Amino acid sequence: MRKLLRATTALAITLLMLTGCGIRIPSDPRGTLEAVEGGVLRAGISPNGEWVRLDGQEPHGIEVDALTTFAESLGAKVEWTTGSEQSLVRGLEEGDLDVVAGGITEKTPWTNKAGVTRPWAQTRLEDGSTVKLVMLVPLGENAFVSELETFLIDDARDRGIAP
Amino acid sequence: MNGEGVHFGQTRLPDRQAEVLRRAVRLEWVTIGFLVITATLVFLVLGNSQAMKAAWAEDLLSFIPPLAFLIAVRLARRRPTRRHPYGFHRSVAVGHLVAAVALTGMGAFLLVDSGLGLITAEHPTIGTVEVLGATIWLGWLMILVMAVTAIPPVVVGRLKIGLARELHDKVLYADADMNKADWMTSAGTIVGVLGIGIGLWWMDAAAAIFISVSIVHDGIGNLRAAVVDLMDARATTFDDKSPHPLAERVDHYLAGLSWVSAAGTRVRDQGHVFHIEAFVVPRKKRLSLEDIERAREGCVALDWKVQDVVIVPVPELPAVVQPVTRPGSAA
Repeated sequence: MRKLLRATTALAITLLMLTGCGIRIPSDPRGTLEAVEGGVLRAGISPNGEWVRLDGQEPHGIEVDALTTFAESLGAKVEWTTGSEQSLVRGLEEGDLDVVAGGITEKTPWTNKAGVTRPWAQTRLEDGSTVKLVMLVPLGENAFVSELETFLIDDARDRGIAP
Repeated sequence: MNGEGVHFGQTRLPDRQAEVLRRAVRLEWVTIGFLVITATLVFLVLGNSQAMKAAWAEDLLSFIPPLAFLIAVRLARRRPTRRHPYGFHRSVAVGHLVAAVALTGMGAFLLVDSGLGLITAEHPTIGTVEVLGATIWLGWLMILVMAVTAIPPVVVGRLKIGLARELHDKVLYADADMNKADWMTSAGTIVGVLGIGIGLWWMDAAAAIFISVSIVHDGIGNLRAAVVDLMDARATTFDDKSPHPLAERVDHYLAGLSWVSAAGTRVRDQGHVFHIEAFVVPRKKRLSLEDIERAREGCVALDWKVQDVVIVPVPELPAVVQPVTRPGSAA
């Protein structure tokens, strides 16, 4: 019992020290959020229905809009990279991209290569089933993924597409 | 229960032990109850943390010892039959072995899994959740669940150790010992998740390795104890720390009888109760059946754990028993 008390106290002190040092929880091992803030959001997009369209001069679509507003909220510009999901995921793994979108659903098979946001939007498919949409981020960049999720879900509520 | 009282095989449990048994059964049901709650809560906030996964696996494994105990005490009550002349007490040892194998196997699997996570530098991704309209980092929820579920097992574990001593039940003891150390799993997980929180991704895998090692450690310790019991090693106390004092009491009782010059016993721990082969060297060549029968009854009366005693008159004690000679005799 005494050991338990000691462990709890040690934990509490560590926590206090950490917050005292100004470390934010969660944070990014690779500093993605800090790099994006006031800089560039490197977004990978793959064309998919109303979510990402590449048929005009500039990319457009719901996810493109959402990411543009997200970048603005961080004072950042967006640098678009287009490609297949697989090549974009490799971009995430190699640290060349910060986020990947393209009508990716929560059933995505990329879970051990990329971090997955929680579902932020939902839509009804032609066969009547509902799918929930996610975006992919680099593995373990937890401050960035938390910031992105929070923004996306607020944004989806405004548009009335939140799950 | 019933009018005849509670039995362990042929032995009618003394009232005190019968009450302890009832409390132990109740506590094990309580244990299963909070394990259901804990395992559900942990599952709900599992996320991508390796340490959380290890902690959850440990929660699931923790179901085995209480279940093994409940099944074993139920079986141990049966009377011995012709088909099972030694009764059903060994069910305790079998339960113990099964629990130990499960622990060791799962611990080893988790150890490899977490080690791979560390080697391949898998950064665990933990995002946010919405709780009552507020968006918070899922890690905080994990820490909360771990902190809340850390204490009850420690309390229950401490209670169970006393009962295990009273009942001489090694499965109950193993269970209590694991419960008692359960807070270390919770503390380890909290450290791992906090590590993820401050950007030290490897702390999660390190915490998971720590938890796996503790599971393997529990498993191997129990494996050794269960195998040693099944091998009929000398009977020990419930915590395997020292030889059981009852063997010596039987020796001294027998050596103190007027017709006996030396005695030595071989004791098998059947789980809860003992089966004893008592070798005695008689003083004279002739001995009466009544003396032997009286000596047997005397041994059974010493303690409820003495279930079966066979008295074997021999010219010389076998080498494997500790000889005890009649006090005051020249030996």
